[in-house]
Formats: sequence, structure tokens, C-alpha cells
Amino acid sequence: MTDNQKPIIDPVILVTLGIALVGISVALVVFQSNSSAADIASDPGNQLMLAFVTGLTTGGLSCLAVQGGLLASSLAYQIEKDLVEKAPSKKRSFQVTAGRPNTALPILLFLTSKLAAYTLLGALLGFLGSYLSLSPITRAMLMILIGVFMVGNALRMFNVHPVFRYFSVEPPKFITRYIRKTAKGTDTFTPLFLGGLTVFIPCGVTQAMMATALGTGSAILGAALMFAFTLGTSPVFFLVAYLTTELGSRLEKFFMRFVAVVLLILGLITFDSGLNLIGSPFSFQNVTRNLFSPETLSATSEDASQISVPEDELLLYVKNFGYFPSTLSAPAGQDLTLNLITNKTYSCARDFVIPGLNYYELLPDSGVVQVSIPAQPKGSKLFFTCSMGMYTGQIVFQ
Amino acid sequence: MIKKKFNIPDMTCSNCAMKLESLEDVLEGVKLIEASYHRLQMVVEYDEHILTEEQIIAAVKKKGYTAIPE
Repeated sequence: MTDNQKPIIDPVILVTLGIALVGISVALVVFQSNSSAADIASDPGNQLMLAFVTGLTTGGLSCLAVQGGLLASSLAYQIEKDLVEKAPSKKRSFQVTAGRPNTALPILLFLTSKLAAYTLLGALLGFLGSYLSLSPITRAMLMILIGVFMVGNALRMFNVHPVFRYFSVEPPKFITRYIRKTAKGTDTFTPLFLGGLTVFIPCGVTQAMMATALGTGSAILGAALMFAFTLGTSPVFFLVAYLTTELGSRLEKFFMRFVAVVLLILGLITFDSGLNLIGSPFSFQNVTRNLFSPETLSATSEDASQISVPEDELLLYVKNFGYFPSTLSAPAGQDLTLNLITNKTYSCARDFVIPGLNYYELLPDSGVVQVSIPAQPKGSKLFFTCSMGMYTGQIVFQ
Repeated sequence: MIKKKFNIPDMTCSNCAMKLESLEDVLEGVKLIEASYHRLQMVVEYDEHILTEEQIIAAVKKKGYTAIPE
């Protein structure tokens, strides 16, 4: 990099960015103080925050790998143009203030347009999702697919096997060609247009988020989810786009490894949640619960001891952090009633699912809901979970 | 006009294919470049009287990749 190129890292932009990041951090701290960790990723508001944080942490870097070229090429032309315009005086061309308004605007326009485009896309996906009326099982299948997709992409980034390259969606050639030709423009319209076109070349993390938007089944929530995610990607996208010429290939590789690791972890969690939601005994939680001596309780837990419970009834406390007890012991071969007790429960634990009985109910935040459980054979297990596959438990029939 | 296939082993994402295809706009004598991340390949259709294989390899190298003629 030459000295003449260094002023492209506009101090005003970096300060603005710093302020924005501090603002985001403060918002996160304030937000966290009002919510428990378990609430995150459950309620819509927290889901949005999770989408935002995902964008801020992994989405920005991942998107940059795919879409950064568009922004960089547009900016490079702009910078080149600025330098040419200032060329008569070498001293003037080196001034930091020289390129300030010209470099800030295209990036801002690009990111704004990208934000608007993805918000619209989220609305469309959510709208489509509402017509699909996702049952817990459909949602489970979708989660498993998303999980496989994320893990596949992570393995692709680790270069594990050539087959994983097919997890990367290659946009049609006519689209990439059109985008490339348009990227040469320098007017105000170009970055706006390019930002909008990024919806056609989403990165792996974005594609996963798009699938989540589809799963919301609501145009508003889908739009809000994609808005939060894209907004989250913006600061990193912005910062790294500026510093991209400063980054060596080694640092870039480090970033990609980091994204791959996070993607792998998130993918496995999503996949596992999908397994929970179909009531699979092979999910991580169900396997480990059975491996380590489980906390098996009938209706005689500490809470339950205060309530007299008939023999053919079970008590399950639905709390913000999950189900208590997580393993219930029940007599085999007889019909039972499961009492689901909520008390100021606001997390996704309220969305109660028994996949084996095809039972799904959104429980009231406080109250008791009874579920009839038909007689089950001895030694069998009935798994239950929240609708996101986060909180789980089982009834063991003896 | 001839069509030549190159292996590009160091492509890491579909954006790399797009970067390589942008050579279409800068290399004189090139009619078409089709790059695929899935296959780690690039097919160049060019006028051999204007452009040489070595020049294509050099241009690819300038983009940060290695082109190996098939």
C-alpha cells in the first residue's frame, strides 16, 4: 500500500463507527440486565437481539467474504477518481480530508440499500412462511436442514472435502455478470443498486438467517429479523471494508477460520434442537441425560410435595429456564394426566411440545394445563421439549 | 478463438469465481470467462493471437490465485 492510499481510512467514519459500536454495547448491556440468558432466543424481542448479535459477530465477516468485493470495487473506483481529481497537487492529494465525503457516502448508501433489501426479503420470507403454517415437526425438519447446511458450510470453510463446496450456493452467471458490470459505476445510484443486489449473493450465515425468517411465519417478524441481522453485520462489514487493503491474507484466513468455528457450533446446536423437536432419543441432551444418572422424579419433587397428586397424575413445572423435573417417572400401562404448571413463565418453555403424541400447546404464562397421556409400554420414554428444541425432558414409564 | 480450461485450486468461495470472471473486462482478447468454485475451475475463451496462456496465468496470479492449465 502506498502513502497516497492511506487516507481512505477516514477518521470521521472510524469515530462514528466507534460511537455506534459503543452504543450497541450499551444497548446490549441494558438489554441483558432486563432478560435472563434463557430468554434470549425465545421471545421475539430476544430473537431479534440474537439475530443482531449473530450479524455483529459472524454475519459481518461471512458476508464480507461474499459481498465485500462489490463494495470494495465500487469504493476503489471512487477513491481512484478522487485521487485523479486531486492529482495536480501531490500535497493536496495526500490530505486526509480530500476523500472524506466521497468515500463515506457510497458505503453508507450501499449498507442502507442492503439493509432495506434484506428487510423486504425477510418480510417476503416471513409472509411465505405464514402460508406454510409450520407445525413443530415441519419446523424440526427445517431446523435440521438449516443445521446440516450450516455445518456443511463450516466444513467447506475448513476445506475438509470437495463435496462440501456444494454447500456454497453459486448465483447464476447472468446475475454475477450483471452485478460485475454495474459495479463499475460511480454515481449515487450504483452503490444503492449494488447494496440491493447483495440479496442475490447471500453468505452462508445469511442464508441460515433467511431460513429462520421463513420459519417465523410472519412478514413483520421476518422483516424485523432480517433487519436486525443485517444491521448487525453493518459495523463489521463497514470497518473491515475500510481496512481490507490493510489486512494480509493470513489475517483474512484467521477471520474465516473464526467464522467457520462459530458456524460449526451454531450449526450443531440448530441440528440438535431439530432432533429434540422431533423427539429423537439421539439428541445431545437426550443422550447425555440418559448417560449420566438422571434426576428421576415422580410427583414428589420439592414443589410438588405441597400439592396432593393422585397416582394417575404427573406434575411438571414449566419455568423460564426449562422443565422441572427434567425426568418424570410414571407407571406404565395406564392412562395418565400430565399437569403443566406455569408461574410467570415467559420463555419459549411455554411452547410445549410432546413430539411422540403430536401434541403442541402454547401454555398461559401462569396457570395449569392438563394433557392426557395414553397408556405407554413399560420401559418406553416420551420426550417433551419447547418449540425451539432448547429445553427438553422425558417421561420414563416403569 | 480457443477455449482453455484452468484449475484454480485456491478458490475459497463463490466470490472468488466472480473475481476471476472480472478478468473478462481487463484482459484484451478474452471473449468469455466462466469460473466455478464448485469445480475449482475456470474456462477462458480467448483469441490466441492477442493473448497467451502465460498472460492469463499472470493475470490470475495478480488476482491472488494460481491457474494451472488442464
